This record gives sequence, structure tokens and C-alpha cells, in this order.
Amino acid sequence: MNEAILTARGVRKTFMSGDRRLEVLAGVDLDVAAGESVSIRGESGSGKSTLLQLLAGLDAPDAGTLAWAGESDTGTARRGRFLGIVFQSFYLIPELNARENVLMARRILGPIDAAARKRADDLLAKVGLAERAKHLSSQLSGGERQRVAVARALMNSPRLILADEPTGNLDERTGDAVIELLLGLCAETQTALVLVTHNAAHAQKTHRQLVLRSGILVHG
Amino acid sequence: MPWYLYLALKQLFPTGRKFPFFTAISVLGVALGVALLVISTSVMGGFGYEIRRMIVDTQGEVQVRGEGLIADAAGLQARLATVPGVVATTPFAEGVVGLQYEGKPAYPAMQGIDVNRVGQVVPLERFIRAGRLDDLDDDSIIISSKLALSLGARIGSRVEIYSPLLLEKLKNDEVLLPRELRVVGIFEVGHQQLDSSVVLVTLRSMQELYGLGAAIHGVNVKIAPKLDADVVATRINGALPPAAQARARSWMEANQDFLFILQLEKNMIFFLLTFIIIVSAFSVTSSLLISVVRKTREIGLLGALGARPVQVAACFCFQGLLIGAVGTLAGLGLGLGTLHFRNELVAGFTRLTASEEVLVRFYQFSQLPAHTAPGDVGLIVACSVVISTLAGLLPAWRAARLKPVEALRNE
Repeated sequence: MNEAILTARGVRKTFMSGDRRLEVLAGVDLDVAAGESVSIRGESGSGKSTLLQLLAGLDAPDAGTLAWAGESDTGTARRGRFLGIVFQSFYLIPELNARENVLMARRILGPIDAAARKRADDLLAKVGLAERAKHLSSQLSGGERQRVAVARALMNSPRLILADEPTGNLDERTGDAVIELLLGLCAETQTALVLVTHNAAHAQKTHRQLVLRSGILVHG
Repeated sequence: MPWYLYLALKQLFPTGRKFPFFTAISVLGVALGVALLVISTSVMGGFGYEIRRMIVDTQGEVQVRGEGLIADAAGLQARLATVPGVVATTPFAEGVVGLQYEGKPAYPAMQGIDVNRVGQVVPLERFIRAGRLDDLDDDSIIISSKLALSLGARIGSRVEIYSPLLLEKLKNDEVLLPRELRVVGIFEVGHQQLDSSVVLVTLRSMQELYGLGAAIHGVNVKIAPKLDADVVATRINGALPPAAQARARSWMEANQDFLFILQLEKNMIFFLLTFIIIVSAFSVTSSLLISVVRKTREIGLLGALGARPVQVAACFCFQGLLIGAVGTLAGLGLGLGTLHFRNELVAGFTRLTASEEVLVRFYQFSQLPAHTAPGDVGLIVACSVVISTLAGLLPAWRAARLKPVEALRNE
């Protein structure tokens, strides 16, 4: 069996809504192996994004444990190297062009060199944006922006990519293309992928399909 | 370059944008404040510099005054000549007299000077506007320009002098006859008070008018270049025997109240105008705070990519510092440029408002004096950069407090 890249055990998260306790995650268990792609579907408000944020180490669970490649360190310093994140809203920095946005993921880890620049160019070429490397995000279409975000997520050769409804703001055809690209690149680089999506067709393309229902993950 | 500095630069000067409006306005605010401070302190410094120069040019750098009359003027001067740093000395006697010309009276301060020695200590010749200093003898007088104007006296006019000694004679029922002196020179120092109420005669004339005999009131001293006047004054006081009953004071000590007021005025202007920089710093704070709110999700993204809160804070703090630094440089350029062309600007303004004559009459200067002290410039630069950097602290603190997960939720 491949190395476990992501391990979550009994992860719980509760929010207060006025005086009411709202248990969003009621003990999630999840294992993702290297090179494996897993989709998570669920109704709106079921806690998919909350689960993804916990898996990314952006928030702390109320209970349960989380490990990246067997290590419980999910802090800021490790996050930049271990995982890449793709958001529904792209979150490109508007003052930077496409190439600079991709390189930003590396800059945050340390000084960039010629190899890093070449990798950014290669990734932009792989997502089909070599010609648009110097365009600002405002000059790109939604699909192009999301492809830049995919290239940025892959910039540091992460072990795991977490994608939170990456096609949510795209039309069907563009969304299909982005998912194909994401799955293809992850497969090519043996990067594990956790894909949160509403789209059943997109979910079917991953190795394993899960559904978040009543705060726990079940097979879909 | 660390990413937070890189991103700060990119946010201030975005790629592909020719005119970064927010940056330009913020920089302009700081630049205007700095330029105003440089101009005001330099002009104030210029006035102060001119006034200081005028004091030294008319009184010498050190003045030795007796508690009463100094009977042995030659002995005192001989002793002063032995003090290290003393280059030349010139005696003087002074007092108020009554002066009348064609029925018009005035009560100027009269200075009796040693014509042969005065030029070694003070550049009196430089202030003579009409006539010659060399023509001054025991039957003549040099009067100040505004006094001459108010009396209508010219070179060759004969003025009558009434001294307190004549009043003493009057008490003894003696005939009161004024001394008649011929005007041989008109001087102008550039100071309202001196130019309207001072007259110069020979030391002998003054001694006769006041009945001083051979006594004098004091000695003006010129010191060697680059020497501290206070140091030389202290040396002179050490060299003078107690019996001399005289004390040396530097020009700074003699005019310390006036110099204090000058410095106070300059400090007040600096203090008040610093508020312009503070106001522009608030504008920078406000703009950066708006930027933090606008970029909440980007700040969240940076956290998700592995940025630490302190680095996010540094990004916004550096923007304040950079605005301050660029604004300060631009302000220095603007201020020094304005100072360079100040006389042309003043001339243009006075021509427009037809007030050239008023300026000269009331301010004594047809040209605006300016003296930019490096220390003042250093203080302005430091204040401006520090205040602008502080302006970035509040937005930086706010940005650093944003948790990535909450920032990303901010749709």
C-alpha cells in the first residue's frame, strides 16, 4: 500500500449559532494515500469547506487528530511545502501577473532562483497559459484564473492538494477542463488530491468518492 | 528580496499600472509636509542667521563692559591683546542724546567709536550707504538711514546735539549751547531699531559730550576665526584683574534672551508644521486600513500559502515606511527647489500684489534670507520617516491579527 499522506481520526468541530451548538463534524475519519484522489460531496452547509480547512491546518478541530505523512505538525511553516490549496474564488493577487502569482507560493518559502522561475513557466505551460504569463488576473477569464491557481498550488511540488469546489465559479465546460487538468497533473506528479465538489460527474473521476453526511464521511 | 517587501512594492507600484493613484496621493501628502517644514525652518533660520550676523557685525563677537566707567582704556586694551584668541579691540562710549535738525527733534543712541581701530573689529564701512567713514572727525557725525529720512538730513547737513552734560550746565545757570555736527555719512545695517535710532561720532566727541574725560564704557573684541566666543570671553574674564571691574560677554550671552526667542519661534514653527506630516500620516493609515479590509481574502490566502502573521504585518508596515521615504525625498527636493527660487517667487508675488516696497520697509529684506541647517534637515527626515512608518503599524497589526480561515470566509 502507498504511504499515507493524510490521516484524520475522529475529527470534530462545533460552532455556536446563537445559543445553539451546531456540530458540523461529528468524528471524521479519513486516510489518503500518495497519488490517490478522493472526492468529498455533500449538501450546502454540510461542513465540506470546514473539513477542508481543518485538513489544511488553517483551523484547529475541537477533538480528533490529524497527521500529514504520519507527522502531527500541521503548522504554518510546514503547510507551504506540504500542501497546495485551490479555492473556489481563485484568490489571485490582483497586483501581480499570472507568473508572479504562481511564483508567490515559492517566494513565501524563501528566495526564488532561476530554477523556480523555470518551474513557474513550465507549470503555466502545462495549464496552457504560457502566452498569458504576463497578464494580470483582471485580464484573464475565470477558467484561466483557476488554471493559474492550480499552477500555484503545484509550484512547491506538494505531497497533497486540497481543492475546495474549484469549479464552483466556472461554467460546465470550463469546469470540466479544470478538473481534467487538476487530476491529470496530480496523477503525473503522484500528488494526493482531496476534491470537495457538488458535481457528481467530477467526483466520479477520482479514485474514491466520499459523502459528508450528518458530520461523518461515508462512501458515496 | 523577502516576499513581504516584494508584495509591498507591488501593492504600491502595481505591475502594468502607469500611475499608482493611492501611492501618489499618499506620497504627495508627506512630501508637502516635508517641503513646508524645510522651507519654513530654512527661512526662519535665514532670518536668525542674518540677525546673528548683524549682531556680530555691529558689536563684535565679544564685548567687555565696565560696571561703571573704564578709566584706563589703554591699559585694558593692552591686557586684552595678551589673551589667546583676541585678534583686535576697539573702545567705545555710548549714551542717549537729543538731536535736532531744522526744528525736528530726535533722541538717538550715540556711539563714540575709535575711527582708526573700529574697522579691525566690526565691518562698519560695509554699512555706509552715503558718505565715508574716513571723513568722521570730532566735528562730524554719521547717522542711520531711517533717522536721516525722518529728519530730512543729508550729507553736509548740520545737526545740533544736546547731551545730558548740557542739562547739568543749565542747572548751574550756564548758557545752554548745543554742539553742532556736520553729517558726513549715512549708514544702514538692515535692522529697524538700529537704522532708526543710532548715530556715530568719534570717541573723543562722545567723551566730550558726556564729560567722560578719557574714560570709556567698554571695548568690542574681534576673535580669531572658528574660535568659540564663549570660550574667549571666559579666557578674558580669567585674565582681567578684579580691580578692572569689567566683564567680558560673548555676543550670544549678551543677546541670550533675543536668541532664545528666535530659537523658540523656530521650534514652534517646527512643532506646528509637524502636524501636517501627522495629518498626512493619518491619511496613509486610513488608506492602508482600507487596503487591509479590501485585501482580507488575499491576506487569508497568504496565510494559507504559509505566510506568518509577522510577515503579513511587515508587508503593510513597509508600505508606510516606503511612502514616508519616497515622500520625504520628494519633499526635500520640492523644499530645496522652492528655496533655490525663493527670491524669484517672492518678487513675482510682490509684483502681483504691488507690495515690494512694503516688504523692504517692514522686513528690511528685499531678498528672502534662507539658511538650511543640516541638523534641521536631519530632524525633519527622521520625524517624517518615523511618523510615516508608525502610520503603517495600525493596519499592519490589523492584518497580522486576521486568521486565514476567517479571512478566507470573508466573501
